Amino acid sequence: MSASDRARSAFERIVTASGVERLLISVSALVLSILIGGVIVLAAGRMADCGTAAYRLALPGSFVTQFTGGSAVVAMGFCYDPIAVYDLLFLGAFGDVLGDPTNGQFATTLAETTVLAFAGVAVAVAFRAGVFNIGAQGQLVVGALTTAVTLLFVAPLFGGLGVLGTVVVLPLGLLLGALGGGLYGALPGALKAYADANEVITTIMLNFVATSVALWLVNDSSRFKDPDSFSNQTVPLPEFSQFPSVFFRARDDFSVVALAVGVLTLVGVWYLLTRTSFGYDLRTSGIQPDAAEYGGVDADRTVVASMALSGALAGIGGAVYVLMMLGNFQTGVPTYGFDGITVSILAGNNPLGVGFAALLFGVLKSGSIVVQVGSDVPPELVGVLRGLIILFVAMPEFFRMAGRRFDSLLPEREEPQGAVATDGGVSDE
Amino acid sequence: MTDTDAAVRLESITKRFPGVVANDDVDLTVERGTVHALLGENGAGKTTLMNVLYGLYQPTSGRIEVDGETRTFDSPRDAIDAGVGMIHQHFMLVDTMTVAENIALGNEPRKYGGLAVDQDATREGVVELSERYGFDVDPDQLIEETSVGVQQRVEILKALYRGADVLILDEPTAVLTPQEVEDLFAVLEELTDQGKTIIFITHKLGEAMHAADDITVLRDGKHVGSVAADETSREELAELMVGREVVLEIEKPDVDVGEEVLSVDSLSVTDDRDVEAVSDLSFSVREGEVFGIAGVDGNGQSELVEAITGLRNPESGSVAFDGESITWDSRRERIDAGMAYVPEDRQERGLVMEFDLVENGILGSQHADPFASGGRIDWGESRVHAERVVEEYDVRPPDADADAVSLSGGNQQKFVVGRELERDPRLVVATHPTRGVDVGSQEFIHDRLLDLRADGRGVLLVSSKLDEVRGLSDRLAVMHDGDVMAVVDPDEVTEEQLGLLMAGERPEEIPHADSAAPEGVEP
Amino acid sequence: MSSATETASRSLSRTYDYLFVGRSRLQQVVVAAGLVALLGLVGAAVFFPETAAADLVAVLTDSSTLAATLRLSVPIAFAALGGIFAEKSGVINIGLEGLLIIAAFTGIYATDVTGSVWFGLFGGVVASTLLAALFAVVCIEFKADQIIAGLAVWLIALGLAPFASTVVYGGKTSASVATLPTVTDMGLPFVSAFVTTELGFVVDLPVFGVLDLQSSLVGLPFFGALFDAGPAVYLMFVAVALSWYTLNRTAFGRWVRASGENPKALDTAGVNVHRVRYAAVLLSGVLAGVGGAALALGIGQFTGSGPTMVNGKGFIAIVAYLFGNYNPIGAFFSTILFAGLDATQLTLQARDVFQVPRPLVRTIPYVAVIVVLALFGRTRLPSAAGDSYDSGEGE
Repeated sequence: MSASDRARSAFERIVTASGVERLLISVSALVLSILIGGVIVLAAGRMADCGTAAYRLALPGSFVTQFTGGSAVVAMGFCYDPIAVYDLLFLGAFGDVLGDPTNGQFATTLAETTVLAFAGVAVAVAFRAGVFNIGAQGQLVVGALTTAVTLLFVAPLFGGLGVLGTVVVLPLGLLLGALGGGLYGALPGALKAYADANEVITTIMLNFVATSVALWLVNDSSRFKDPDSFSNQTVPLPEFSQFPSVFFRARDDFSVVALAVGVLTLVGVWYLLTRTSFGYDLRTSGIQPDAAEYGGVDADRTVVASMALSGALAGIGGAVYVLMMLGNFQTGVPTYGFDGITVSILAGNNPLGVGFAALLFGVLKSGSIVVQVGSDVPPELVGVLRGLIILFVAMPEFFRMAGRRFDSLLPEREEPQGAVATDGGVSDE
Repeated sequence: MTDTDAAVRLESITKRFPGVVANDDVDLTVERGTVHALLGENGAGKTTLMNVLYGLYQPTSGRIEVDGETRTFDSPRDAIDAGVGMIHQHFMLVDTMTVAENIALGNEPRKYGGLAVDQDATREGVVELSERYGFDVDPDQLIEETSVGVQQRVEILKALYRGADVLILDEPTAVLTPQEVEDLFAVLEELTDQGKTIIFITHKLGEAMHAADDITVLRDGKHVGSVAADETSREELAELMVGREVVLEIEKPDVDVGEEVLSVDSLSVTDDRDVEAVSDLSFSVREGEVFGIAGVDGNGQSELVEAITGLRNPESGSVAFDGESITWDSRRERIDAGMAYVPEDRQERGLVMEFDLVENGILGSQHADPFASGGRIDWGESRVHAERVVEEYDVRPPDADADAVSLSGGNQQKFVVGRELERDPRLVVATHPTRGVDVGSQEFIHDRLLDLRADGRGVLLVSSKLDEVRGLSDRLAVMHDGDVMAVVDPDEVTEEQLGLLMAGERPEEIPHADSAAPEGVEP
Repeated sequence: MSSATETASRSLSRTYDYLFVGRSRLQQVVVAAGLVALLGLVGAAVFFPETAAADLVAVLTDSSTLAATLRLSVPIAFAALGGIFAEKSGVINIGLEGLLIIAAFTGIYATDVTGSVWFGLFGGVVASTLLAALFAVVCIEFKADQIIAGLAVWLIALGLAPFASTVVYGGKTSASVATLPTVTDMGLPFVSAFVTTELGFVVDLPVFGVLDLQSSLVGLPFFGALFDAGPAVYLMFVAVALSWYTLNRTAFGRWVRASGENPKALDTAGVNVHRVRYAAVLLSGVLAGVGGAALALGIGQFTGSGPTMVNGKGFIAIVAYLFGNYNPIGAFFSTILFAGLDATQLTLQARDVFQVPRPLVRTIPYVAVIVVLALFGRTRLPSAAGDSYDSGEGE
C-alpha cells in the first residue's frame, strides 16, 4: 500500500466515518427543515388575515417572462415575513448577550437547554440500547412530581442549616427525581424484555397515565394541591432547597450550577457508553442483538437497565425543572420529552452531541417566546420544526443520494451482503 | 423441435457492480429440451449470470437471446413473459400463504370483473399442473407446514404455472438429502421429456456429470469451457473449475487424550418453530481430541451447537463442562469457563458489523481480564490484542481500526476464528471455521486447531466440508434429522458410507470409532 | 332448525378457537377469568339488583353507552384498518396518530371554508393522504427507519395542526362548525322513515304470556343505538367488511400480505413491491383521514391543546389491530373493547355512579392498552415489517 493510497483511504474513512457523516446529515436536515418551515410560515401568511403584507415576494420581469411570457412582474403579499420570524427565533433567544450576558432571555435559553440536555440524553441512552423511549415525557413528569412532593416533607427537616441544607437537600431532590423517573422507565423496559410488549406504545400510553395521575395528585388540597392557589400546583418548596441563581438574576429561573450538573451528566454518560463494559454491552445489544447475545450479554437485563437509566436521566431533568425553574410542581409540563427525541436524533444519539442539539432547541424554545411577543406567528412553529427535523434526520439515504448527485462527497456505504461478491475465499464446500 | 435450436443464448454478458466484475464477457448456449449444468466455485458468477437472464439484474453489456429472439429484460416480469422461470437457492415463498396461493402469486385468476381472486380456478390450475408432471403437493397446505423438498417442488410449479419453458435452478441440491436429490433429478428428467429446458447452478461436479446433458464452467466471472457431460471426466471439470491443483492434506500428529471436557447427555432441543431438531443425543469431547460432526446442513447441527454454547435452552437432557453441569448456565458463564465458539453466521453473531476490529476483538471478553477491570474497558490492551489477531491470522487490510463491515467475508471469518482460538480456551466449538477463507489461511486455521488439540484442549468441529472434517477429526459423528447415525473412525470410513449415513441409512459394515481409546493411542 | 343450531354451535366453536386456541397458558387464564368476571357481573346484577354491580350493568347495557362506544370507535377503527394495510405490506405506520390529527383539523377547516361537512370530510382525507404520502416516500424511497419516520409524522401533525389553528382561528381550539348528521336527521327518504316507524311485535309466549313490543328500531333497548348512529359509524362497518374482503379475497390483498412476509417472493413473481407498499400506505392515509375527520366533525370543533382531541387514539388503534391479529374484524372487535371502556368511563362520570376521581378514570383505556399489550404482545409481525426493500440491483 503506497503512501498516497494510505492517505486516500484515511480520507475516505474520515468522510464515511459515521460521526462526520452524521454531522453533515444533521446540519443538512436542520437547514432543510428551516427552509420548509419558512415555506410553511409563508403559506400560513396566506391563510391568515392582515391589513398590510409583512412580506412581499416579487419576481423581476425578465425572470418571470422567460417562463410565462406574460406579465412583467409577479408579486404576492404574505402576512408573515419568514426572515423576520427566524430573526426573532434565533437571535431573539440570545437577547443582548454581548451587552448583558446575564439578560433574562438568554437565561431562559440556558434554562431550557439544561432541561433539554437531560431529556435528550435520556432518549439517547435508550436509543443506543436499541430501545425507543418515547416515554421520556412521562418519566420527566414522574421525576418532577416525586421531587416536588417528597421534598415538601423532607426539606423542612433541614430548614435551619443554611447552605448546608442546600448541599444536602438539592442532591437528594435530584436523586428522588432519578428514582421516580427510573422506576417509571424500568416498567416499560421490563414489559418489553419479559412480555414482548412494544415499548413505543407502552411508553406513549404511560405518558398519558403520568399526566392524568399527576393531575389527580395536585388537583385537590386533600392531596398535594396548594390550597392557596387557584391552579393545579403543589405548595412551593423552600428557597434553600432549590438551585441557587449564581451570576444570573433570581427571577430568571436559571442556575449555572444546574447547567454544570447537566454538562457533567453528559460527559458521564459519554464515558459510560464508550469506556465501560456496561456501555459496551448496551451499545452491542442496540446495534446487533444477536451478536450481543453471542458475546454473553443478557439482552433482557440490558433492556431493563438501559430503560431504567434512561428514565432516571429524564427524571433528573424533571427534578431540575422543578428545582430550577418552577420551585414547585404544576400541571401542564412543557413537552420536553418529545423535544428530547429530536435533540437525541439530531445529535446522532451521541451524549456529547446532545449538548449542542439541546442548546439549539433551547434557542428555539426561548426564541418561540420572543416570536410570540414580537409577531403574529404562532409559537407552535417550533413544534412543526421539531417534527420536520426528525423526519429529515431519519432519511440519511436522501442526503446520501443528494450528496452523490451534487458532489459525490458521501460515498455509498457498502452493504454487508455486498462483501460476498468480493470474498477472498475459495470454496464453501 | 430439433436438437440444434437453442432455447437460450447469452452472448458476451458482462455485469459490473461497484468495484467488482461479476461476469466478464460470458457466453452460454443451452439446447432446447436438455439439462444444462452451470458449474463453478462459490463466487464464480453463476448466480449473477442467471439473475441477468431472469431480469433481476441488467447486464452492463452483452446480448440475451431466448427462443431465437433478442430480448431485454427490465424485470423478472419480462423474463417470465418470455418463458424463463427461476428457482432461487433461498425459496421465494410466502410462509403464511398456501401452496396454491404461492404458485399463483402475481398471476392470480380473477373473477367479478377482476375484483376478486378466483380461488377455485387457482386450485384447479395447480392440481392440473401437478398431475401433468407427476408432482405430489397439497394445494391447500400452508408453506410453513411443508418440507424443504415440497417447497422446492412448489417453486418449480410456480415457474411452470407462469408458462416457463426454461427453468433455472440455483443450487437446487444444497438443502436436500441424497434421496431427495435423486427425486429431484427424476423430476428434471420428466420435465425435459415434456420439452422443458433446465439450467441448474451447482458447485458439485459429481451432480453436474450425473444429471446434466451439457456442462458450462465459470471461474472468476469468466467462461472457461463448455462440454458434454458424457464426454468429460471429473478431473477435467475439476481443473476447469479450480484452475489449479488443490490437495487438502492434513497431517495430524498423535496426541494422548485426557479427561472429558464436554459431555452431552440425552440432549433434546427444539428449533425456532418448536419442532424437535435434536433428539436425545449423547456424546463427549475429550482433552486432546477433535470431535467432528458431519451432515447435510439443517439436520440439527445449529440447534445442537446453540444448546452447547448457551444460545438456546434445551428441552431435556444435560450438558456438562469439565464434569460440571452447565445445562442452564448463561452464555457469559460458559465463555468465562473457557468455551470458545466460532459461530455459523459471522455477520449476525460473530461480529458487530458497525464496530471496528478493536471493539470486535473483545466481544465476549468485555467483562474479563485483561480487557476490563472494575467495569472499565482498557482500550489500549484491546487494541494490542486486535492487532495481534489481525497479524497472526493475516486479516486484510491489516488495520485494526477498520469497521467489520468493510472487510470481505473471508477476512471477517479469519478475524472471528483468530479471536476465538486465541482465547486460551478449554474447549473450542467451531462451526464451518474455514468457510469463505482462502487456501493459505485454511491451512493456518487447521494448524491452529491441531495445536490446541496437541495442547490438550478439546475441539468440537462442525463442518459441511467432508475432507476438512475427516482430515481433522479423531472421531466423526454423522448427524441426520437430529440424531447421530454413527460415530465413525474418519480414517477408515469411505465417502460412500458417509453419504449413506448422511442420508439417514445405516450401512452394514461401518468402522465405528473406539470411544474408549481412539486411534493413535490404541495399542 | 337443525341448521340454526349448527350455525350457532359452529360460531360458538369458532369464538372458542379465537379466544383460546394458540394462546399461552397465562393468556388462556386471563381470557377465562375475564369471561367468568363478565358472567359473574351479569349474574350479580340479575340476582342482587340493589348493588353496585347492577348499577354497572345498567351503565353497560344502556343504549347511550353503545351509542358512545360506536361513536368513539370510528377514529380508532379507521386508523386500525389503515394500520393493518400498511403493516401487512411491510411498513409499520406508527404515525397513525399524526394522520388522525391532521385530518381532524383539516376536516374542520375545510368544512368552515366550504360550508359542507362532506367537503370537510373529503378535505380531511386529502390532508391525511398527503401526509401519508410523505411518510411513504421517506420510508420506501429513502429507506428511513419506519419507527422514527412514523414518530416524525406524529410530531409534525402535533405541531402543525395547533399552529394552523392558531393562524386561522387565533387559538389552538377552532371555531365551531356543523357536525355530521345522524341518520334520522339526514332525512333520507326511505331509511329515516324505516328506522323511526312504529313496529308492532305481538308475540304469544307460552310461559310469560303475551309480549307486546310497541316501538321503533331507534327505540329498541340497547341496540336502538345501532339504528340512529352517524354516517361515519355505518361507513366504519362498510370499511371493516371491505378491508377484510380486500385483504383476503383480492389479488391486491395477497400482494400486500406477500410484500410484508417475503417481498422478494413478490418481486420475483413480477409484482412491483414498492408500488404495493405505496398503495398500502396511501390507503392507510385515506382510512385514517376518514377516521380523523369524522372524529372532529362529530363534535364540530378541533381542539389542539396538549395531545389534541385525538389524544392517543392512533396509538390505541395500533394496539387494537395487534390484539386483533391483523384481521380487520378482530381489530374492529378490539376497537369496540377499547372504545367501550372509554364509553363506560364517560357514562360513569356522567352518572356519578362510583366515586372514582375523573383523572384516574380517564386512564382506564390507556392502562387497558398496556395490559393487553403485555399479555398479548407476542403477536406474529409480518416477517419483513420494518425493513425497507431493495431489489438487489446495485445501481
